[in-house]
Formats: sequence, C-alpha cells, structure tokens
Amino acid sequence: MRDLFRFLLRIRDTLLFIALMVVAGLLLYSGSMHHRAIAINSSNAVAGTFLTWRSQAAEYTSLREVNARLAAENADWRNRHSSAFAPNADPLVRINDSLHHQMYSCIPAKIVGSTWHKQRNYVTLDKGESNGVRKGMGVIGPDGIVGVVHDVSARFASVISVLNPEVKTSVKLKRTGNFGLLYWDTGDPATASMVDIPKHVRVATGDTVVTMGGDGVYPTGAPVGVVAEVSSPPGRPDQAVVVRLFEDLTRSGYVYVVNDLQRAERDSLQQRQEQE
Amino acid sequence: MIGPIATNLGRFLLLILLQVMVVDHLNLAGVWMVPYLYVLFLIMLPFELPAWGGLLIGAVTGLTMDLFSSTPGLHMSACLVMMFARIRLLRLMAPRDGYEFGMRPTVPGMGLAWFVTNASVLIAIHHLWLFFVELHRFDAFFSTLGRALLSSIATLALCLLAQMLTSRTVLKSRA
Repeated sequence: MRDLFRFLLRIRDTLLFIALMVVAGLLLYSGSMHHRAIAINSSNAVAGTFLTWRSQAAEYTSLREVNARLAAENADWRNRHSSAFAPNADPLVRINDSLHHQMYSCIPAKIVGSTWHKQRNYVTLDKGESNGVRKGMGVIGPDGIVGVVHDVSARFASVISVLNPEVKTSVKLKRTGNFGLLYWDTGDPATASMVDIPKHVRVATGDTVVTMGGDGVYPTGAPVGVVAEVSSPPGRPDQAVVVRLFEDLTRSGYVYVVNDLQRAERDSLQQRQEQE
Repeated sequence: MIGPIATNLGRFLLLILLQVMVVDHLNLAGVWMVPYLYVLFLIMLPFELPAWGGLLIGAVTGLTMDLFSSTPGLHMSACLVMMFARIRLLRLMAPRDGYEFGMRPTVPGMGLAWFVTNASVLIAIHHLWLFFVELHRFDAFFSTLGRALLSSIATLALCLLAQMLTSRTVLKSRA
C-alpha cells in the first residue's frame, strides 16, 4: 500500500496533467453543444468589455472609411424610399397593398472584435439579449452575410463567422435557382466553397450567389458573393464551386442582426409536425 | 515571496491584454503568421515553481485566452501540453550543478542561446498543437504545418523583442 502511494506521489505531475487535459478535452467537445453551464466565449461580460475598449480606441482610425460606407448605404435606402418614386400619372390606379407585410426586422450592431486569419473565426457584437439579439439569428453586413449568432449575454453577442467551417449556410445560385451549402474550407478570408451543386447544372463564373432563406437565419436573397471558380473533380457527385464573398470580413464596422418575425410560428409548426 | 508573485501576475495581465488587444489584430502575413505572444508568460515562469504549479498556471492562462477567442479548451490544452513538455525540457537543459536560486529563464538570466533553444521548442509544441486541434482534421497537413511553423517564428521574434525592450541588462550590454 505504501509503495502504491509512493508511486502515485512520484507520478503526481503526470496525473495532474492527464486530469487537466480531460477537462480541456471536455470543453473542446462540448464547445459546439447547445446547453452549457459556463459561456467560454467572447460574449461574456469581461471579454466583451475589454473588446469594446479596444474597439473604441481603434474606432478613430477608420472613421473616414466607415462614414463613406454608411453614406453609400443611406443613399441606397433613400433610392428605395417612397419619396424617390413619382406617383402614377393615372389617378385611377389604386394599389391597395395587402400583399406585403413585414417579415424581417434588423437590429443595428457594431463589430467590437473579429478575427479572420484563424482557422475558426468569430465576431463579437456590442448588442446582446437586452437589445433583442437571440441565438440563431443571422448577421448581415452592408455588402453580404457575416455569420450566425451562437451565444448572447445581456450586452454582447458572439457570432460564428462565415469564415468558420462549423457554419454551413443554405445558399442558391440566383440565375439557375439551384441550391447548395456554403462552407468555408478555402482558408482564404475572401472566398468560401459552395457544395452540393449537381454536375449537370451549368455554373458560370460571375454567377451571383444569394441566401436560400426560410431557415429563420437569413432573409431570402441576401447577397453572399459571386462564383469565382468552377471545376468538376472526378469521384465527387457535385461540382467544386469557389465563391468570392461580397462582404469583406477583414474589416470591422456596422452590421445588422436579422430578426425573422415569423420564426416562432414556423418553429412551432415544425415541432407539432414532429410530434405527430 | 510577494515580489515574484506580483511580478508574474503583472506580466500575466500585461501579456494577455497585449495579446487580445494588439497581437491578435496584427496582420503580418495573413493566415500564415498568427503569433501568440502570451506564451512568453509561461516561458518566463521561475525555475523554482513546482511542476504541478506550472500545469495549473498553464491551464488558467489557456482558459483566459479561450475566454477572449471563443475557443473553449483549445488554448487550455495547448498550454497544458506545452507546460508538461517544459517539465522535461527544463530538466534536460539544466546546467551541470542544477539551477541556482534566483536564476531566471530569460535572455539576461541564461544567455541568448539557452533562451532561444528553450523558447523555440516550447513555442513550436504549443503552436503545432494549437493549429492542428483548431483545424480538427489532417487533410490540409502541410499548409497547417507551414502556418504553425511560420507563426512560431513570428512568436519567437516577438518574445525576443519583448525581452530586449524590457530588460536593462541586454540594453546595457549593447551600449
């Protein structure tokens, strides 16, 4: 018995190492699970606060560029505003618009922390649960999609970037309507791969890729990117399509969190179907 | 006893903040060079620290980094592997009469050659683990290997730079 204790005492460092590695391993594998006791990500208050300080300090260096982008976006919205349209000349035309109702609302947010050069990238936003941001909402930038909210605290949200192989986005080719999954395996922050496009579909470089929608994450038809390369490797049922992303994820600025107003309704319907 | 604890705690805070506020946002060579300067804190832990202490400190340091980079367990495991290797490495690299009290694992304390050997082995172990576990697969083996090694070189260069900027003796010997 004493020999056993002596032996255990001699290898205590190895035992401690193994025990701690088991903890780290559990954290690694539970990282993508839905329910966690502690949030080890940048949506927690401490990390969020530090990242906000940093972003506030660095904000001034890019004000000119951010202003230009916001102005361009404002101009775009102004072009779509009713004041930009002239009334029909014929006073007898009457459009009673009961066909449209609001499906999505946007929550503006600022990127306070983001990476793009790692192999799994995340974005931290300065808006959280108290602003209406919920887990699973999509995030779009002025040019294209950014990612999906995966954890929220009261004041911050942690977003899985499109530049993360963990997130697969349903997208479609705008011209042909064929859909596939957008998946980041290129290792290049400017591009991503689109998989599941069957071989018979004629994909051309320059085709626009937009979101499928209907999954409660992104609205239908949100811009994603353009096809940059197409090849048809043998031994694969689908084509290898490389998409050049519209949104430049290497810069930070203002983004919009998309709130799908019909999500609860659709989810409860799907749940009822599953129960039956 | 208070002195070294306060010094190391200060170094911990400084290096973690430097990492998440500045180094994480450096663009040296895009995805090919992603330095992790914070490991310098673990490399500079005193020789007198028992092995189990080193492991615990490594775990906490890694967990703190995970908190900032949304990667639960990733930095923690990398730091643990590195600190476990450090136990053996320090034994291997010990002077003939063992480490004297007050010796520090730094450039002024042990000389440039000793520090570079020690640090480069530890940084390489940490980075290789980190980059491969982060990717979670082996199909891009050589590009990941290249990223890890190039990033290790960048980290080592930053560590040497930090030593040069903060230690008086190095500056004096150059003057």
